[in-house]
Amino acid sequence: MARTFALVLLALAALASLAGFALGSPLAPWLAAFGGATFPVALIALGAARNGRLGGLVIPLGALWVLLAGGLAAVLVLPAGGPDVAGLPLATALMIFVLVPIPLLGLGLLYAFSFGRHGLREEDLDRVRRLRSGGS
Amino acid sequence: MPILDRPLIVVSTLVYFAVCLGLGVWALRRTRSAHDFWVARQGLGVVVTGLATMAAAFSGFVFLGGPGLTYRIGLSSLFINLSIGFTPTLLAWTLAKRLRLLAEVREVYTIPDAILARYGSRTASGAAAVAVLIGTIGYLGAQLLAMGTLLTAVLGLSLPVAVGIGLGVLLFYSVAGGMMAGVYTDVFQGSLMILAAVAVFAYAMSAGGGFGQVVRSIAASPRFGRPFLEPLGSTPALTALGFFFVFGIGVLGQPHMLNKFYMIRDPRRLRWLPLVLGSSQTLCLLIWLGIGLAVPALVAQGKLAPLARPDDAAPAFLLGFTPEPLAGLAVAAILAAIMSTADSFMNLGAAVLVRDLPRALGRRVDRELFWGRLATAGIAVAAAALALGYNDLIALLGTFAFGAALAPALAVGLNWKRVTAAAATASIVTGTALNLLLEFLARQTFFPALPKPPLPPGALPTAVSLAASFVVLLGVTAWTGRRQPALPEDISAVMEA
Repeated sequence: MARTFALVLLALAALASLAGFALGSPLAPWLAAFGGATFPVALIALGAARNGRLGGLVIPLGALWVLLAGGLAAVLVLPAGGPDVAGLPLATALMIFVLVPIPLLGLGLLYAFSFGRHGLREEDLDRVRRLRSGGS
Repeated sequence: MPILDRPLIVVSTLVYFAVCLGLGVWALRRTRSAHDFWVARQGLGVVVTGLATMAAAFSGFVFLGGPGLTYRIGLSSLFINLSIGFTPTLLAWTLAKRLRLLAEVREVYTIPDAILARYGSRTASGAAAVAVLIGTIGYLGAQLLAMGTLLTAVLGLSLPVAVGIGLGVLLFYSVAGGMMAGVYTDVFQGSLMILAAVAVFAYAMSAGGGFGQVVRSIAASPRFGRPFLEPLGSTPALTALGFFFVFGIGVLGQPHMLNKFYMIRDPRRLRWLPLVLGSSQTLCLLIWLGIGLAVPALVAQGKLAPLARPDDAAPAFLLGFTPEPLAGLAVAAILAAIMSTADSFMNLGAAVLVRDLPRALGRRVDRELFWGRLATAGIAVAAAALALGYNDLIALLGTFAFGAALAPALAVGLNWKRVTAAAATASIVTGTALNLLLEFLARQTFFPALPKPPLPPGALPTAVSLAASFVVLLGVTAWTGRRQPALPEDISAVMEA
């Protein structure tokens, strides 16, 4: 189910990005922003799904989508960047102080601490090593 | 002040070269087989892999082009780096584990090897090899030119001689030690890059009077003003979002980064890869932000004359505002950034000639280590000759996006069994051909009758090619996927792990 959902999201992201970047229209930046926020989430879900399920990753990946989509939307909604925060326009401050460090640490720690379930399980590694053929 | 008048900069450059040569000698003694030469004996720890991946990915552009771009277009240039928050984990979850496990079950040393193993198609693998070769020549030529330009400034030599000296050092360690030398010089170079980036960032903020004073000076300046600090400024939204898309998703098709994942000793160590890679990249990018903000602030404060060329931002700051030891460290770091990317491309290009293209044609090369060394030299000399003789061609090929060609076939194909060889081949060919065609139409001046690419204002040709490559992969899979034969058991196990 999660795999199918990830593939549907991926297809939507690909079509939205192509339409956004290739066809000029007033909606183009919004399509590109939707594609930009959806692509990473769909691909991570595709790579992390096990037996078609994401388990505890659903909420963090949903949060990642909200963060990316919200950040890109803020840039499009606030053409001048909004009010100043720490000397920078709000949207710029969001880019530098939120959109980079929070996913970097949050996803990095999530990957490390869920590695045994969603990264590489010992039984899967053992199975792969048993099948080692030694030639391509 | 000419750099030659500052001897510590020359000394730091020479010391840097000496360390690279020393590592080449060390690696030569440990390189006895093709396995050592192409994938460093698969013996790396996670910190070495993370640093080597960062150093290969970040070229001289981060140190020179990035601050220059920021001076020119403001903080909208940061859209290039905005995806750094998720790309390390994206790489780890979609590709690092799969590629490393493929190397457990098959003799997989290169990205076309992985495509051959996954799809069992010599056509798909050959198409990937051609894409890698095109990009390699372009990127390598661009790095060699950048290295020559920097050495010309430091050592006061002519461009061909400067390129020759830099190429000599690169060739020595890359031919002698292959990827074994490449990886360990990358670690040295990556460490140097991080050290210099953090130190220069701190110094840049201090020179501008602190972060608050820096942004206030820029905002109050008639030359830059608040738009410089705005997320888009004068940059079209489609350009900024294109940067985000191309650098965020295109990273999944960068062979010089991806082939480092084969080399990690124990796949379980991948657990820490996103944190190591992400933190090293973030620290390195501080130089972009630091000089990118400090130089316009210093211009606004009247401490620095406005730049005639935006690309002079980093040299103007380093030579005019930093103490000589720090400037020497930074020059060595810029050389390190350039050379760490160049050595990865030399290895990739040689592998295409000796391994990937022959296999795509159903042949194998005997004495792969010998021919690999020869091909490394050949590809580097050819790229240097093209760079010096046909600058326009290198500029065009240097825009080639591996991501558009390879990202869908790898990132989707290694995680979804239904993707067929036909879909992978169609996606790789679409990404390669469309990217070259659109970039050629956008840049060429030889044929005035040819139209410009029919794209909306601000749209990046690479973003269109990358999106089209994904659409083609998914579309052809939907059409042909039901006829997909069962995958070999070992490949199935890798994709289910």
